[in-house]
Amino acid sequence: MKTGKAFYMPTLKACLSIFRIKTAQGLQYRMAGLAGASTSIFWVLIEITVYTIFYTYSNNKEAGQIAGLSLRQLVSYAWLAQLFFLMQPMRIDSEILGKITSGDVAIEMCRPIDLYFHWFSKTAATKLTPLFWRGSITFLVGIIMPAAYRLSLPASFSGFICMLISFASAFLLCTAFGMLVCALRLNIKWGDGPTHIIMLMGGILSGAYLPLQLWPEFMQSFLLVQPFAGYLDIPLRLYVGTMLPADAYWAIGLQITWAMIFIFTGRSLMSVRLKSIIVQGG
Amino acid sequence: MSQIELSCISKTFKISQRPEGKFGMLRGAFVRESKIIRALDEITFEINEGELVGYIGPNGAGKSTTVKIMSGILTPDEGKCIILNRIPWKERVEHVSCIGVVFGQRSQLWWDLPAQDSFGLLKDIYSIPYRVYKKRLAELVETLDIDVLLKMPVRQLSLGQRMRCEVAAALLHSPKILFLDEPTIGLDAVSKLALREFLKKENLKNGVTMILTTHDMDDIETLCSRVMVIGRGKLLFDGRLDMLKEKYSPLRCINAVLDKHIEIFSIDGADSIKVNGNVLTVLFNPSKTAAHTMVERIASQFPLKDIVIEEQDIDEIIASMYKEMCL
Repeated sequence: MKTGKAFYMPTLKACLSIFRIKTAQGLQYRMAGLAGASTSIFWVLIEITVYTIFYTYSNNKEAGQIAGLSLRQLVSYAWLAQLFFLMQPMRIDSEILGKITSGDVAIEMCRPIDLYFHWFSKTAATKLTPLFWRGSITFLVGIIMPAAYRLSLPASFSGFICMLISFASAFLLCTAFGMLVCALRLNIKWGDGPTHIIMLMGGILSGAYLPLQLWPEFMQSFLLVQPFAGYLDIPLRLYVGTMLPADAYWAIGLQITWAMIFIFTGRSLMSVRLKSIIVQGG
Repeated sequence: MSQIELSCISKTFKISQRPEGKFGMLRGAFVRESKIIRALDEITFEINEGELVGYIGPNGAGKSTTVKIMSGILTPDEGKCIILNRIPWKERVEHVSCIGVVFGQRSQLWWDLPAQDSFGLLKDIYSIPYRVYKKRLAELVETLDIDVLLKMPVRQLSLGQRMRCEVAAALLHSPKILFLDEPTIGLDAVSKLALREFLKKENLKNGVTMILTTHDMDDIETLCSRVMVIGRGKLLFDGRLDMLKEKYSPLRCINAVLDKHIEIFSIDGADSIKVNGNVLTVLFNPSKTAAHTMVERIASQFPLKDIVIEEQDIDEIIASMYKEMCL
């Protein structure tokens, strides 16, 4: 095995090239982006309506405030959650899945490049491309809504910068977890069931359906350190101001730590799987 | 020194089977029966640089498995395999940078993007220097005549056009060895001829070793001087194509068109005689009776209008060979 710069530089270049080509492919789907955006917008509006009812009319209307999340913050959270949600690994990239099930993985293995990083680049591209059409339309609609439904400005400028950094880490984390699931899926006999359950658990624990701060009090410390908070809860807390920029260091550090753990396990799992891989069909 | 060396390579697969009987389907959901299939059984051969080898066998004989082992995708259970002084599955990354693969039934191009983009990506994956890439691409574009296809999305190419692009993609990094797994599958006659022509040229010009698995005997006949036949995981024949023919089809066939209808009659030295109207078909063994003797014997009895002597069709030879070996 070649090591050091001589080996990793070409790999890095190839990965960037793969990322680029996959992004170019993803950006072709404008109509899908528009359709997706209308789903997101509709969903957010329902969410906001429901939260508004709870915050105004429920028996325990102070509960949200006590948990530290005002209705205004919650509205912004809901909008941004839709954007971050697009990066979440909800399914294995259809191209990669197709290659696993049809046996086309054979061709990928005939490339002089580490298959994990090859697919990592592809997965990363598929995480980012929906943001381009679907994400940007949703965002624009969010900021032009009437006041009660509007995506507000960030709590502070430094909070916003921290959110951006945390966003990048979330992107890394989502891709890394997607790849871990993908490595699990390389066991062809499993089918799609188990991997779907795993990804859905991640989605729920990320706060995409209910912001983590609104979960029961006794779960709070667990919720914050578990890996999926890094998907969107951490960056969004930084944006709406329920987490102070001073806390961003450990929060982003946590995101990156989890991402590294996922990358390490994913890659080792994949190399084990590849050794015994069954290449399907002719 | 040989470029490719396989000795005693074996590979087994586990195949799950549904239990038989009335409730087999239901039982199969809970208990699995599995069967061990020996896909490759002590395969041994050597291939030298610049050889063009045909690798044939019935479906499921183990052709693709061998190719997969040689390209480093599968790890065999036993045996030794050394290609370009490397063990393919142990040094996969280094190994695959020296080989090219064309799978007739799988595509390595990006479906929604122009072939050009895929080529650009391959350039980065194989880290081909820009100048080398430009030169090589121009060469391939010219010989494969794919200039106009480069900018079209791959999904809009015909199979023949796409296959030419696939071959170009496999050869961009100037591999020393090229594996072709049924490259002519589904192609029309013109595309097949063009592809064969190209492969032959590439082999002569750049000395690329090629291993070709196919079911199309014309591929073998026009391209390969050496043939390996595999059946049920065992290597059954390895040698020149004419040796294969001699061994399994020693007979020649005379088709004579006569002036008039005739009745069946006997000719010395003929293995079989068939008469169909005024067409006479005679099979004979040239190592026992020379061709000119046979022609004389026929001509002495009837006025000949036209005569053709041909070898038995290679498809038939292979079919009879498979049959003989109970494959």
